[in-house]
Amino acid sequence: MFLLVCSHTNEAGTRGLSRAPLICGGLAVREAKRWALRVNGADRAVQGEPHVPLLHFLRNDLALNSPKFGCGLGQCGACTVLIDGVAARACAVPVRLAEGRDIVTLEGLAAAGPDPLQVAFVRAQAAQCGYCIAGMIMTAKAFLAVRPDPSEAEVREALRYNLCRCGTHVEIVRAVLLAAEIARADAAAS
Amino acid sequence: MSAPPASRRALLRRGGIIAVVEPRKGAREDDVDIHVCLTAEGRVFAFSGHVDLGTGIRTALAQMVAEELDFPFAAVEMALGDTAETPDQGPTIASETIQVTSRAMRIAATQIRAALLARAASALQCDVAALTLAAGVLSSASGDAVDLSALLANERILLPLAPEAEFKPVERHSLIGTAVPRVDIPAKVEGGFVYVHDVRVPGMLHGRVVRPPYSGLDGGDFVGRSLISVDRLSVADVPGVRAVVVEGDFVGVVAEREEQAAEAALKLKAQWRDFRPPDLSDVAQAIRAHPATPRVLLEKGDVERALGRLETRLDRTYVWPYQMHGSIGPSCAVADFRADGLTVWTGSQNPHRLLKDLALLTGLAPERIEIIRHEAAGCYGRNGADDVAADAALLSKAVGAPVRVQLTREQEHLWEPKGAAQLMEIKGGLGVGATLKAYDFHTWYPSNDAPTLALLLTGRLPNTPSALKMGDRTALPAYDYENMRLTAYDMAPIVRASWMRGVSAMPNVFAHESYIDELAHEAGVDPVEFRLAHIDDERAADLVRATAERAGWTPRTAPRGEGEILRGRGFAQARYVHGNWPGVGAAWSAWVADVAVNRATGEVTVSRVVVGQDTGMMVNPAGVAHQIHGNVLQSTSRVLREEVTFSETTAVASRDWGGYPVLTFPELPAIDVLLVDRQSEPPLGAGESASVPSAAAIANAVFDATGVRFREMPLTPERVLAGLAGAPLAKPAKRETPKTRWRGLGAALAGAASFAAVSFAIAPAMAPIARPDPATWSAATIEHGRQLAALGACATCHTAKDGVAYAGGLALETPFGVVTTTNITPDVETGIGAWSYPAFARAMRDGLHRDGRHLYPAFPYPSFAKTSDADLQALYAFLMAQPAVRQRNVASRLTFPFNLRPLMAGWNLLFNRQRDIAPDPARSAEWNRGRYLVDGLGHCGACHTPRNLLGAERAGAYLAGGVAEGWEAPALTGASLGPIPWSEAEFYRYLKTGASQYHGAASGPMAPVVAELRALPDVDIRAMAAYLASFSPKPPDAEARAAEIEQRTSRAANPATSPIARLYEGGCAACHETGRAAPLFNAGPALGLSSKVSAATPANFVNLLIEGAQHGIGSMPSFAAALDDGQIVDLARYVRARFAPEQPPWRDIETAAANARRR
Ligand code: FES
Ligand code: FES
Repeated sequence: MFLLVCSHTNEAGTRGLSRAPLICGGLAVREAKRWALRVNGADRAVQGEPHVPLLHFLRNDLALNSPKFGCGLGQCGACTVLIDGVAARACAVPVRLAEGRDIVTLEGLAAAGPDPLQVAFVRAQAAQCGYCIAGMIMTAKAFLAVRPDPSEAEVREALRYNLCRCGTHVEIVRAVLLAAEIARADAAAS
Repeated sequence: MSAPPASRRALLRRGGIIAVVEPRKGAREDDVDIHVCLTAEGRVFAFSGHVDLGTGIRTALAQMVAEELDFPFAAVEMALGDTAETPDQGPTIASETIQVTSRAMRIAATQIRAALLARAASALQCDVAALTLAAGVLSSASGDAVDLSALLANERILLPLAPEAEFKPVERHSLIGTAVPRVDIPAKVEGGFVYVHDVRVPGMLHGRVVRPPYSGLDGGDFVGRSLISVDRLSVADVPGVRAVVVEGDFVGVVAEREEQAAEAALKLKAQWRDFRPPDLSDVAQAIRAHPATPRVLLEKGDVERALGRLETRLDRTYVWPYQMHGSIGPSCAVADFRADGLTVWTGSQNPHRLLKDLALLTGLAPERIEIIRHEAAGCYGRNGADDVAADAALLSKAVGAPVRVQLTREQEHLWEPKGAAQLMEIKGGLGVGATLKAYDFHTWYPSNDAPTLALLLTGRLPNTPSALKMGDRTALPAYDYENMRLTAYDMAPIVRASWMRGVSAMPNVFAHESYIDELAHEAGVDPVEFRLAHIDDERAADLVRATAERAGWTPRTAPRGEGEILRGRGFAQARYVHGNWPGVGAAWSAWVADVAVNRATGEVTVSRVVVGQDTGMMVNPAGVAHQIHGNVLQSTSRVLREEVTFSETTAVASRDWGGYPVLTFPELPAIDVLLVDRQSEPPLGAGESASVPSAAAIANAVFDATGVRFREMPLTPERVLAGLAGAPLAKPAKRETPKTRWRGLGAALAGAASFAAVSFAIAPAMAPIARPDPATWSAATIEHGRQLAALGACATCHTAKDGVAYAGGLALETPFGVVTTTNITPDVETGIGAWSYPAFARAMRDGLHRDGRHLYPAFPYPSFAKTSDADLQALYAFLMAQPAVRQRNVASRLTFPFNLRPLMAGWNLLFNRQRDIAPDPARSAEWNRGRYLVDGLGHCGACHTPRNLLGAERAGAYLAGGVAEGWEAPALTGASLGPIPWSEAEFYRYLKTGASQYHGAASGPMAPVVAELRALPDVDIRAMAAYLASFSPKPPDAEARAAEIEQRTSRAANPATSPIARLYEGGCAACHETGRAAPLFNAGPALGLSSKVSAATPANFVNLLIEGAQHGIGSMPSFAAALDDGQIVDLARYVRARFAPEQPPWRDIETAAANARRR
């Protein structure tokens, strides 16, 4: 086995990160900088280059595990979070575009008690391996915000581009419809 | 989930326990495995070497233990799969956990219960029968609770596992048979669940692997022996890289951060030997041509003789494609290799085997390796989980720190061991009176257990794969054929393959259950009735009857075949058999499938599935139903669309969810599950059974609908359409994935002379000066200059890749050769520090170097010439105020005659004439301001106006579309090819944000231009927009036109009836499809409106796919790794035809792709 250890790490061991600016592709000025993020209601700062997907910062720097790496290509939905209330595939959102916006992950959904979606997903037992589930819930959250009383067909359409390989679809659709019901009942009660 | 379970080792050291144990395989004599342990505090620990693959066995096993022990469910804590904790019970495969493996645990629970009662009886000096144990509370006859801690005191009671036990009778079950909610779901739904992907250990680094080009192949003399060299300098510029690790064909990188590792893995240049992938354009043919060893499983009667005496002879061939497990999370692992041993965190389905693999890989003794098992994304068989664990071990060993390795989506797709293709041939038919006289069944299964990849890549294991006798599952049909011979052909894999849900049984049953349907049709008997007449197993017959009744089956003997949408119904049933031949039967399953077949498009929709299942005793009926749902949906997906594709250059070609699309929510069939009540029978595996009848049930339904029999999977629209037309599906034309072609750059430059060699000064030099003190200028002037530098996008060209701003060194390809930009920082020696303002202004206006040499018009001085003196002064001030960077200029290499700089004097005479822009009094001040910005420093025409043969902007074609750095700079005038003309508002939006709803987003060289424009005052952007819009016709009602285009190009109007349409649907539509109910933050432009799709050439479209983009308000990931060149060509053709139907098809997409890869 041969091992090539790159020799140009500086004393701090953070070569490049501390040295700005960097140039990417000869086109855009690329700079490792601090990003002020607002995640689940708290101000968090991370450091990195502007094009790096938000997903890496959420998972690796902020230890928020719920958004999952599934494809890195925007195809599967496993990494979905909310940005300003809108569903966002965190693997396809560079950190520079998330700065200053309100980011919510599954962990932050239960800020004021469990979200109706979380209650409903447990009640409907809507997970097998569960790897896709955070993305399902976050996508559904954004969807129910605009369609609080959807039909089953609308729920299915809204989740068209969220993939589940375990075949939990039946339980997931049930859970989303149940969550809509719970939310409407909650709203009526309050 | 409660507190982490105490470990086996800790339990064995403490007092106050009663445990059932067994000698531990391969360990010291006195070391034991625990099956179940009860502590004095009333906690129950149960240990299984099997793991939860997301199927809920953690809950079901705990239910069984609590039931037999008479303790509350919540008291039971499970440890699954960790090698130091649990017994080696083999891999978690074949749905064996409940049926086979759980037995030990269940026996252990009864033993502990009995021992506890006996102990209490002797302590209380009473009869055992006088005691009760319920819900964990032990009570005497008088009703007093017996204190557990007193009873166990500080003793350590270890009971050897008994071979048998009497289990609680069904009538007394209070937990088994109930729908206990799964223990893992709350954490999965709240976000607290820790998957292997979420494991972080202190000091952890991030690794990525670089796989060889023979994607998905693990046999052949090139495996492990193809790497020629690795260019470590290719990643020298990536920050944070700690190591490049190479051993044999194993290549990996380690970096401090994940994105750094990912970037390094993409950029690392490695040279590999050529190899010859197998020809898989015809899977059946490939299997036939592959060496195989026949193994006769069963011979009954005299088949040959019976075949000769049939009344109706029916010989049939069935073909199953390669398929993928397709875990939603690409495999991941963390390894920590220390002086004292190795710890690996993994999602393996087989931790005990992995441990042995790691011992072989690292040379460590097995007892120095510990494997900690976490759940991962569902795997449905053997995926990349073990591979990545071994990768992590190698990388951690190399750097001496913990390393997390995450496979990419593409790597998981390409390299996961595939579910094997399979070929089944049946000779047989009907005897006199429609009897089942002869059945000669042959099945070829090219697969083994897929040795862990790193062992092959490093040469630890030979690259000559072996066969595994696993093709015989459910090889025995369910019907009583009088003369029967079954032959399995054991064969090494053709591409890397291993078990996948319903392993070999699903294809075998596709053949058996299609064939019996064919016989029923020949006999003119209803297929359900025909089955019942010949089935030789009562439980199966019961299930067939119950399922048919539940579905409202109506007998029929001929296909229906009417109308545009053809509807049909099919039946199939089987018992999944696992383990070595003849194997052990798991649950019985029967399907009734309803389908609709679109005669025009060939699309098959499965509208409803009724599944009956006899699982014996169901531990958790809700869990069983859940598994059935999962099996129905996954197998429907496999039957309708799943098929791994191959290319002639890289073997496996499916690399993402576009190349391997799976079923989506809108396509779900309605599912009705019938659970047969047999709680007093032993439990049977439920994890795979309901997949097994799927293919035949659906194919039989399609036959019922259309009268056409499909004997090859999957039932894609193109296959069905071809079948309906009476022709077999044409094999896909052999598609060569073009290797990246290195265009004749060298040849183009052969005659080039360098900058330094030809240097005639024909204009006078201007005297050098000392670098001016930036304090000369006011902050306001410098700030104004900054805006102008942004408008001119000076940094965009005058900064090299990964270089320092304004220090030059970027090589620009022009039609006339390569121009390398120069250092314009105020360094006196290598930059422009010695340039006086007049020298600077002369360069900007006349294209002359300070020393009098001519500059090339790649530097757009004809535009800059139009800039006012005041503005040039400010720009000069700004540049002089920048940090001086010492960096020598690189010579430009132009082709003859452009390499002769003096000729530029003549060029200037011809083309650099219009100097000042006199304001047009007929136009508004804003328009005139816009013109000044666009034509001056903005130099829009430098790219957007076509150039003549001499490289000057062509007269009469102002802003009519040009090229820049291999990208098309589209027309900004009425010559625009986009379906909606540019308006002032859209120009403004585009320049401001980098995207226009009616034209798409800025990418390529335009992206940094937009980024730079952010420095400009808003009024200037508005002025540019006003000016530019004056060259376009007045837009129609853009909104209505856009809506109409979106409608016409929508998915609804363009069903995905070809592989390439599905590539788009799975790969691109998630971001680009229009008309979604809720907004998507990262939604991409509507392709029907994108200027890249309506452009004259495919350059921009292809460049974008390969490079990805970062523009003002958006971004797009690069698909360079996800798509091969063949797919890019197909996709470009498809997108062009669907989204810009009024434009002619693109030509030369191959070249565009090769060019884009080269950049
Ligand atoms: S990981 Fe982001 S969409 Fe798949
Ligand atoms: S639950 Fe496993 S992928 Fe959806």
